[in-house]
Amino acid sequence: MMRGGGGGGHAVSEEDKLDAEQAKWVIRRAAAWLRPYRRQVVASMVLIVTWTFTILAGPYLVRYGIDQGIVPGDAGALNLAVGAYVAVAVISYVVYRAQVMAVARVGEGFLRDLRRRVFDHLQSLSLGFYDKERSGVIVSRMTSDVDSLQELVQMGLLMFVSAALLIVISAAVLFAVSWQLFLVCLVVLPFVVLASIKFQRDSSRAYLTVRDRIGQTLTNLQEGISGVRVIQAFGREDVEVGRFARRNRVLYDAHMDSVKIAAWYLPVIEMAGIGTTAAVILAGGIMATGDGGVTVGDVAFFVLTLSNLFEPLQQLSQLFNTLQSAGAALAKLFGLLDTRPDIREKPGAVELPDDGRVVVDGVSFAYGDGPRVLSGVSLTIEPGEKIALVGPTGAGKSTLAKLIARFYDPVEGSITVGGVDLRDATLRSLRRRIVVVPQEGYLFAGSILENIRIARAEATDAEVEQALRAIGVHERFASLPEGLHTESRERGSRFSAGERQLVSLARAALVDPTVLILDEATSSLDPGTEAVVEHAMERLSRGRTVIVIAHRLTTAERADRIAVVTGGRLAELGTHDELVARGGHYAALHASWAGSLT
Amino acid sequence: MTALAPPTAEPRQTGWNSPGWRLLRATCRAQWKGIALGVAVGLTWTAGKVSVPWLVGQAIDLGIEGQDRAEVYRWAALVFVAGLVAATFTGLRRYLAFREARLAEMNIRQRLFAHIQRLHFAYHDRTATGELMSRANTDLQQFQNFVVMIPITISNFVTVAAVTIVLLSIHVTLALLALASLPFVNVLAKRFSQRLHPHVMGIQRESAELATVVEESVAGVRVVKGFGAEEVQKSRLYKEADDVYDESMKASRVRATYLPALELLPNVGLVLVLAYGGHQALAGTITVGHLVAFNAYLVLLIGPLRMLGMVVAMAQRAVAAAERVHEVLAAEPEVTDREGARALPSRRTPPGRGLGEVRFEGVRFGYQAGSGAPVLDGLDLTIPAGTSIALVGPTGCGKTTVARLIPRFYDVEAGSITIDGVDVRDLRLDELRRAVGIVFEDTFLFSDTIRANIAFADPQAPFEQVERAARLAGAHDFIVELPQGYDTEIGERGFSLSGGQRQRIAIARAVLADPRVLILDDATSSVDPTKEHEIRDALGEVMRDRTTIVIAHRPATIALADRVALLDEGRVVDEGTHAELLDRSDRYRAVLAAADRGDSALGAGGDGAAARTDQGARR
Repeated sequence: MMRGGGGGGHAVSEEDKLDAEQAKWVIRRAAAWLRPYRRQVVASMVLIVTWTFTILAGPYLVRYGIDQGIVPGDAGALNLAVGAYVAVAVISYVVYRAQVMAVARVGEGFLRDLRRRVFDHLQSLSLGFYDKERSGVIVSRMTSDVDSLQELVQMGLLMFVSAALLIVISAAVLFAVSWQLFLVCLVVLPFVVLASIKFQRDSSRAYLTVRDRIGQTLTNLQEGISGVRVIQAFGREDVEVGRFARRNRVLYDAHMDSVKIAAWYLPVIEMAGIGTTAAVILAGGIMATGDGGVTVGDVAFFVLTLSNLFEPLQQLSQLFNTLQSAGAALAKLFGLLDTRPDIREKPGAVELPDDGRVVVDGVSFAYGDGPRVLSGVSLTIEPGEKIALVGPTGAGKSTLAKLIARFYDPVEGSITVGGVDLRDATLRSLRRRIVVVPQEGYLFAGSILENIRIARAEATDAEVEQALRAIGVHERFASLPEGLHTESRERGSRFSAGERQLVSLARAALVDPTVLILDEATSSLDPGTEAVVEHAMERLSRGRTVIVIAHRLTTAERADRIAVVTGGRLAELGTHDELVARGGHYAALHASWAGSLT
Repeated sequence: MTALAPPTAEPRQTGWNSPGWRLLRATCRAQWKGIALGVAVGLTWTAGKVSVPWLVGQAIDLGIEGQDRAEVYRWAALVFVAGLVAATFTGLRRYLAFREARLAEMNIRQRLFAHIQRLHFAYHDRTATGELMSRANTDLQQFQNFVVMIPITISNFVTVAAVTIVLLSIHVTLALLALASLPFVNVLAKRFSQRLHPHVMGIQRESAELATVVEESVAGVRVVKGFGAEEVQKSRLYKEADDVYDESMKASRVRATYLPALELLPNVGLVLVLAYGGHQALAGTITVGHLVAFNAYLVLLIGPLRMLGMVVAMAQRAVAAAERVHEVLAAEPEVTDREGARALPSRRTPPGRGLGEVRFEGVRFGYQAGSGAPVLDGLDLTIPAGTSIALVGPTGCGKTTVARLIPRFYDVEAGSITIDGVDVRDLRLDELRRAVGIVFEDTFLFSDTIRANIAFADPQAPFEQVERAARLAGAHDFIVELPQGYDTEIGERGFSLSGGQRQRIAIARAVLADPRVLILDDATSSVDPTKEHEIRDALGEVMRDRTTIVIAHRPATIALADRVALLDEGRVVDEGTHAELLDRSDRYRAVLAAADRGDSALGAGGDGAAARTDQGARR
């Protein structure tokens, strides 16, 4: 958004740059992706090449008109040149139009495909992937990485191809018209190339600095606005304004550094162009006034065509950055597409039966290569039984719950529901029979209705309402001004943590699972909502096998049995009274709770 | 109820006196020296650039056609000199143009930031952070883009004028033929820019919507996986991907319409020059050199003419953007120092009483002043110096409002609030805010080190003081266990703390300021219930001999305060100790009963606490 004045386009940091081997790999894969577009790609290329020729034809026809028409006094030749020029201009117009659309169709189509395929792939990956990768990084694959490709498609690719073509063809034509004058032009070329390379490197570095500082300034700005109440409460306005002034200044300096790089590069290119013009006139003049085989038309042609040699060179050096960052983005995207999902459906998987007997048998688990989080846990939960998992943070109770929902597969041992090993069940039946209600209710953009329906896409409005009634909260949402169509993200209608939790419970009710896994929230809600949430949970639990990760003693007390997990093992199992009587971990927890009451 | 106008391409007010133009003019006036220098440099560039084709024409006519080698040397040398001038000044022109534009951007952004810092709470309640952000970012960007163009546009304009004069002086008819098509370049370029802009914005908008779907599917991955809702998400994304595609294709169609036409128009001039000029040359009324010069001039004009067309469209957007920036700058801060505002009394009369007495007398207040039912109406309450009071009442009874009126986040509509006998509106604002420490319900911490966050009120505070505050807030123990202890960076790029940890840092931040009056607004709600009793011990320490106002739900926290005020419908309905109220008030018992449920917990905080942090940070 806040592009540097130097106009370096996108830039790539050192670690993202591709080496020759990686570049080849990226090009091969990209080519394979483009295969369905083979015909359009070829057509686009033909159009681009044709267009480039029409651009060059203009000066050539002027030369022809002068040399063959005006100088020898041949009106016919002049008229021919004029006629040809008109034809070329018309062709150029038509071809240019067709070419813009052709490139857009291929490019945008490719990008749409890419977005869909990358997202499909992201959806197929298991929770393990999302636990490992930072969410910002995952999102950036679909946003900034695809965007840098979009920039290439919309601006770069066309310019890149035609710029390269222009240089090559202009050079060839100039050489053919007069090799002597062409050699004169070549004198400045090394300077232009060296300057362009240096510019490309410097501006890329400057751009990264600018981007970084824009990020810092925006963060500072954002915090200054969203934290304005705290700032005012502590009377810190002046300090914050001073701090922002320094950030702002540092950003300005970065912008100016970037401008300075362009400010020395531009004169070099301009000088090269006009200097070459002077040199061509000098050399051409000497040859034309002597015997040298150069005509006035040649000199005129050179003067008019030189811009076709230097301007594209300048464009290329700027496009190089765009190309580099697009390459880096593609490499990352292909890398992502190569990641395999951990949880897959076996061929010949069976439906999970409507039977709430859960058997955990000798289960051990570790996240990736990490330490064991669970070792040798065995536990049988009867249909309709409510069991509370209790234990300190990191003891493994959440992990155990995740394994029962098959977000992960155990390293050792097995988990069966209704006698079927979870690894043998279809993923679809798994998600219908076993539902997890997470600690925090998450709302997607969209109405309450849509948010609940996410649990079962084919559910009717009536079924959603039925689910809300089943947990006794229909009235609470239906009484909103826009009822169940209230948007979750609109200003003024932000839902509280408690209400989000209710939506979460309604989703579970809509699925009507056999096994319900509840992750209780640690922090307290406001008292009124808290009671409603508890009531809804209680109604949802009726008649199902329930596994609750309990943070509150009252919750544990209400369960049929309590399983105490410590250090990745099942330490104690029994009813509340049994465990208190036993005098172990649970009894100690209970005592500390009782003691903390004032 | 957006307080600010939505971003549009069109300014709402037109005419040279609209706020947008005024801001633009003020900027130019403030930086006239730099801009004038930019224009002067630009004109020198024009002179160099414009003379080149003429010099080339002379070289061809006098040198090559005239078969005079001395003339060739002379004119080639002059071309070189003109090139040197043009080259040097093109770099300088760019440098100066950007310098002024970036300077203007920086200055206005600074003004905006400083102004935003001084705007009252009610303004910020009405205005979303994102709206202010876009004014200080996107809108300023539009503005900056145009300021860059000012010196460049002026020299481009002169270039066009100069070339026209040169061509007319060579051959009037040929000049008219050559230039006839060029005004259309200008018109077309303007229309192109206007047509393209909405689609460019559209692509941005659709891309943002697509990004939202991706962000949601990552943030809500547990829901998606838990319910097997991958297909729902896919169809949402497909729709967004289609929208981006459609909008991009619309933009491409605009490009396909205008770009070829913009390319064609100069060619019309070139063809006419070749046809008419060629025959004139055959007839000998014009030289070949002039013909070449005409060609070169036409090529030279294309760039400036296109730019002039685009500048018109850019100016419109810049003025619209400037208007939106102005809108923020024009908002008056409503809570400011009164004339002759005074300092807090440093001792009380009669002597012997401590400092920090807070008194509410007949206070009325509503968030929409004048309209709607007031939140507080006829509130009387006295909190003697050095004592603590808990505000208790059902949701929406005005507890938090009471707390926010003391440091003048809002001004009362009627009645008064005094600290140590002085109306808070008569106090110097900086002093008042330093004397009142508040811990907000929504904990907001800055992306900085923990130490800097605690020392927020006094960045120069020695480390011992920071540590003492952290200990008092029960935060020291977990801080020292963090990777870099007090120097641990927190926030977006740093370490993420749990909700309870964040609240304890916020308490430490308030304690460090050693305020005369301390307000704890639901300050322990995110603290894990098992940890809360530890903090309660610490809070007891903090509150000793300090006027403290506590807003809490949990009875154990309420019981910390010396007295309890029961609020309902905007006034105090009962007041006494916790035990007294429990004994005599049904209402009080009812409020507490609701809170009593689930006030017990097992084990330690789970991973959910960390998830909560991130949400809190974003708020």
